[in-house]
Amino acid sequence: MLKLARYFLILSTIIFSACKQEEKVKQVALQDFFKNPEKTAFSISPDGKYISYLKPFHNRLNIFVQTIDGKDVTQLTADTVRNIAYYFWADNNEILYLKNYDADEDPALYAVERNGKNTRNLISYKKTRISLISYERAINNEILIALNTRDSTVFDPYRLNIKNAKLTLLVKNPGNITNWYADSKGKLRMAVASDGVDETLLYRESEKEEFKKVLKNNFKTTIAPLGFSKNSSIFALSNQNTDRMTLVEFDCKTGREVRVIYSHPEVDVTDGVISKLKNKLEYAGYETWKKQRYYLDADIKEMYQLIEQQLPNTEIRITDRDSSENNFIVRTYTDRNPGTYYLYTKAANKLTKLSDVNSSLKKELLCEMKPISFKTRDGIIINGYLTLPNTKEVSNLPFVVIPHGGPSSRNSWGYNAEVQFLANRGYGVLQLNYRGSTGYGKAFWIAGFKQWGGKIQEDITDGTKWLIRSKIADPQRIAIYGGSFGGFSALHGLCFNSNLYACGASYSGLINLFTYLKGIPPFYKPYQKMYFEMVGNPEKDGDYFRNSSPIFHTDKIKVPVLIAQGSKDPRVNVNETNQFVKELKKKQIPVTYILKEEEGHFFNKQENKIEFYKELEAFLGRNLKKSN
Amino acid sequence: MDERKQLYRKNFSLVVTFLILISVSLIVAMLLAYNLTRKNVENEFISQKINVLEEVANPYNDFFQNKIPEISFYQGFLDSASARKYSDTVFLKFPFVERIVFYDAGISNHKIADGLRVNNFSLGPKAVYQFGKKVSADSILLFKNILPNTLSLKTSDEFNKMAMKFAGFIESADTSQALNDNDRYNIFYSVTARKITYMSIPRREDLRVFKDLMFKEQPPSLVYEQDLMTFHLNPYSFIIKNTHPELYQHIIIKPLVYESLENNPELISTDIPLPGAFSDYKLYLSSSKSYLTREINFRFLPIALSLLVIYGVLVFIAYLIFRNLNINSKLFKLQYDFINNLTHEFKTPVSVIKIAGNNIRSASQLSDRERNHYGKILDEEADKLNDMMNRLLSFTQIENKAIKIKEEVINLEVFCQNLIDAYQLKYPHFNITCSIQGVDHFKADPVLLGSLFQNLIDNAYKYSLTDKKELHILIKKANKNLVFRFTDQGIGIPKKELENIFKKFYRIQSQYNQQGSVGLGLAFCKELVNFMHGSIAVKSREGKGSEFKIALPFEELPVA
Repeated sequence: MLKLARYFLILSTIIFSACKQEEKVKQVALQDFFKNPEKTAFSISPDGKYISYLKPFHNRLNIFVQTIDGKDVTQLTADTVRNIAYYFWADNNEILYLKNYDADEDPALYAVERNGKNTRNLISYKKTRISLISYERAINNEILIALNTRDSTVFDPYRLNIKNAKLTLLVKNPGNITNWYADSKGKLRMAVASDGVDETLLYRESEKEEFKKVLKNNFKTTIAPLGFSKNSSIFALSNQNTDRMTLVEFDCKTGREVRVIYSHPEVDVTDGVISKLKNKLEYAGYETWKKQRYYLDADIKEMYQLIEQQLPNTEIRITDRDSSENNFIVRTYTDRNPGTYYLYTKAANKLTKLSDVNSSLKKELLCEMKPISFKTRDGIIINGYLTLPNTKEVSNLPFVVIPHGGPSSRNSWGYNAEVQFLANRGYGVLQLNYRGSTGYGKAFWIAGFKQWGGKIQEDITDGTKWLIRSKIADPQRIAIYGGSFGGFSALHGLCFNSNLYACGASYSGLINLFTYLKGIPPFYKPYQKMYFEMVGNPEKDGDYFRNSSPIFHTDKIKVPVLIAQGSKDPRVNVNETNQFVKELKKKQIPVTYILKEEEGHFFNKQENKIEFYKELEAFLGRNLKKSN
Repeated sequence: MDERKQLYRKNFSLVVTFLILISVSLIVAMLLAYNLTRKNVENEFISQKINVLEEVANPYNDFFQNKIPEISFYQGFLDSASARKYSDTVFLKFPFVERIVFYDAGISNHKIADGLRVNNFSLGPKAVYQFGKKVSADSILLFKNILPNTLSLKTSDEFNKMAMKFAGFIESADTSQALNDNDRYNIFYSVTARKITYMSIPRREDLRVFKDLMFKEQPPSLVYEQDLMTFHLNPYSFIIKNTHPELYQHIIIKPLVYESLENNPELISTDIPLPGAFSDYKLYLSSSKSYLTREINFRFLPIALSLLVIYGVLVFIAYLIFRNLNINSKLFKLQYDFINNLTHEFKTPVSVIKIAGNNIRSASQLSDRERNHYGKILDEEADKLNDMMNRLLSFTQIENKAIKIKEEVINLEVFCQNLIDAYQLKYPHFNITCSIQGVDHFKADPVLLGSLFQNLIDNAYKYSLTDKKELHILIKKANKNLVFRFTDQGIGIPKKELENIFKKFYRIQSQYNQQGSVGLGLAFCKELVNFMHGSIAVKSREGKGSEFKIALPFEELPVA
């Protein structure tokens, strides 16, 4: 008896000390991670005299303007129903903005003067989407927009006079044009047409001419115009002749690349920034394990270096500038800091702090995000990021594997609220850019086509196995969690690698590829063929769809599942999710089901977001407990 | 004597009454239990059919709630090949599905030859296939829209019904609301006799599009895929699992209107209708009466056994009580006898003393001879009384273990001869012989040993006929004991009395012990022997004599 008591005493001391050790890391309140920024979307007026930003007013984002020295704050809008989705300075005096809308509401474009007066609705059509062709200043009080009033699947370009709201149709969309481009003078001179699989670049010298075909590409090949260079040349990102995207100068008359400006040996060039003032490229942006710049202008290089000297150990990005390119909005960020907005005055080489993105997070409590890579079973190198909790112990950790959505996207280095939240709660987090992710060249992206339930999932599985092999993760305590396609991957992992994961969570995850393809909105119809090539054809590849879709395989799931879903999600049929949950429940699998009637694909309301992460925290806590 | 008899009789009648009472209870309990069991079995025969139905209908419910809605998962993308695969999984798992008709349909605003058209909304089959175990390869394809107007009414019947329902729903649907369970069942399922038709449930966005197709003039639209399937079911292919084989002898599926025409009074039957598409069929469950009786008996057996066990326990307890009462009544009788005897025994010397005293008082003069005579009488009778009282006292003392043994070494030869001499003096005709073999000294309390000898010698004298007053005492060493045998030629002890003679106050009823016996002698001997850690036994033959054998533990004395 005494022996037993002593044994218990020893055991409880071990447990107690273990708990103590784990609790050493101070927990940050859940809300702090997901806090909306106090001030965001900073913009500077063309004359550089005013700074505008969005700030919550009665819980909705509204536009505010202040002078460049931070005085005379004016509130331009006072909407308590909808957020301002987007705004820009049309000229020195006027700001144009779009309000947020959802499926049951119609979008509308408004204009307001800098002093908050003369607010007016420029466009408001029922069941119409407004898309901006020129995001830039208005020229002669005119901007270019595209509307689908005539046919919901077709966007026609219009010139809009912001003073009298007069709309002029520029050219009728024959039905296949998906993108319109304007030059710096506000003339509509370029377009991209698509028949779903092939893309055609169209060009004209002036608005008086007809569009002429310049180039035809399969959708796998991209030419993304960045801006007009001179005459008929444009700067563009292109992978026409290469596997990876390169920054090129392209002649629209001949349809040939004039020169390659910059290419990176490993990754896509993702960005090319043009100085409007100088009509010159400033730098080419590319992303290896983090976003980097290759300077193409000595002046700009010097300026960045001057800013970096004042902001050491942090990444910087210029988000806006005035017309004279003397005043810049600079944003900083790192993996452990959501960042700060600054005003940089080039002439004085002076930085003025505008606002922290999230001041309630302390850098010491956040965790380092490290780039990693591993080899898959078929010998491909997969890159990813590993975030370990700030505990003494760095092996045998409970882990959450988070495959990203898309799958045509990638994980990047930087502050990620979700990852930091989980790491702060003691979990290691693995993110990985499996094949099919973008940024690593055409071939790598295409390697993920029709592999949604195949090679992509194998890469994720190999990532998890790599974690186990390198002894970082406790093989008994690994969860898989993701949103959208990531949710699909999580459920797929639970179905077909059920012994690898202790539990799984799907946030608006696809559960049926049939439904996903059916759910392509009508205005995406031209893309349907492309989707068939990327995902598969539901009629021809029915077996593959059936074998990959979790909804057909509920019987294979053996571990607890968390499912979060918005009822209005167009990509997921809630009836199916209900059926899925019902069948799991019938099989005595513990299911946590968070269904929000008013939400769509991903939760929008802050309280729903917080509730979801609270549930996720509890769910992981329950199922990734140390088993001794 | 009368009182004793009454006491005994009272006991007996009580016991008898008790026995009768519990026997009656037993019979009543048995009858009640049997009746209850029968009722229970009969009730179960009626009620347990729900259980059987549940078991039988389980695959149907699974089919209806899980397998059929799976069609929706394909979102209309089923074609002949995938529909065939789906059908094969159905046939494999649900044997009651006989044939599946698959309508690969399309919704559009085109003008169509076959199908339904409401305003601009048309819903028509692109192709119709049927699958089934008995469907031959050349009859799989029933219709293809490249051959318009070839769709037979028989084939399109189910399709048209569903299409009408669906068109009606589209016409009035509130597309801003999510579908509720009621709509889902009413619109997309059609359940009729032995037929279930199901249409894949479109997404909410699709419903919106369909509504626009119906009411808006639009250019020719896309063709939206829609799948319909009609399942033809065969109730006789249900796998019937008898979950209560103890209740139901036969379970069969019969049309709802079926009634057994068999005129068999032995047959008991019940029925319950099948669910859903099988509602015009029922489960018909029957058993013969003897089959149920067997079940009743089977269930009654343990109840009867437990009742019998309870009855047995009660009877046993009654017997134990009766036995205790009996023993008590015997003891009571013995003590009664003892008081009687003791009074008598004390009475004789007391009356002799009284006579002697009277004589002395009434005599005017006492001669020396007379004085001697009376003195002797008084002395002797007083001794007798004293002796009797001593014995009684020492007996109670021994019984209560109140005396202590004072052991000393006894010379057996001297000890026996002294005793024999004393008895020769007392009873000159009593012939006592003694032989001692292989031992001369014995360590014991001489008083206790003397008492033992006196009692046994007295008994031998008392229970011997006048001409046969003989006693032989044999003392012998056997193992670790010293054995004393007292063999007489007396009247002996009847066999049935042998086990009683060592009991207190027990006395054999015979003509030889009318006077002067208390019935304590042998009981006293036994107590003595027990006290000395020995044992006593008796062998006797009636009329021939008795032999008392006493064994006392013997300690080898050190040779002095």
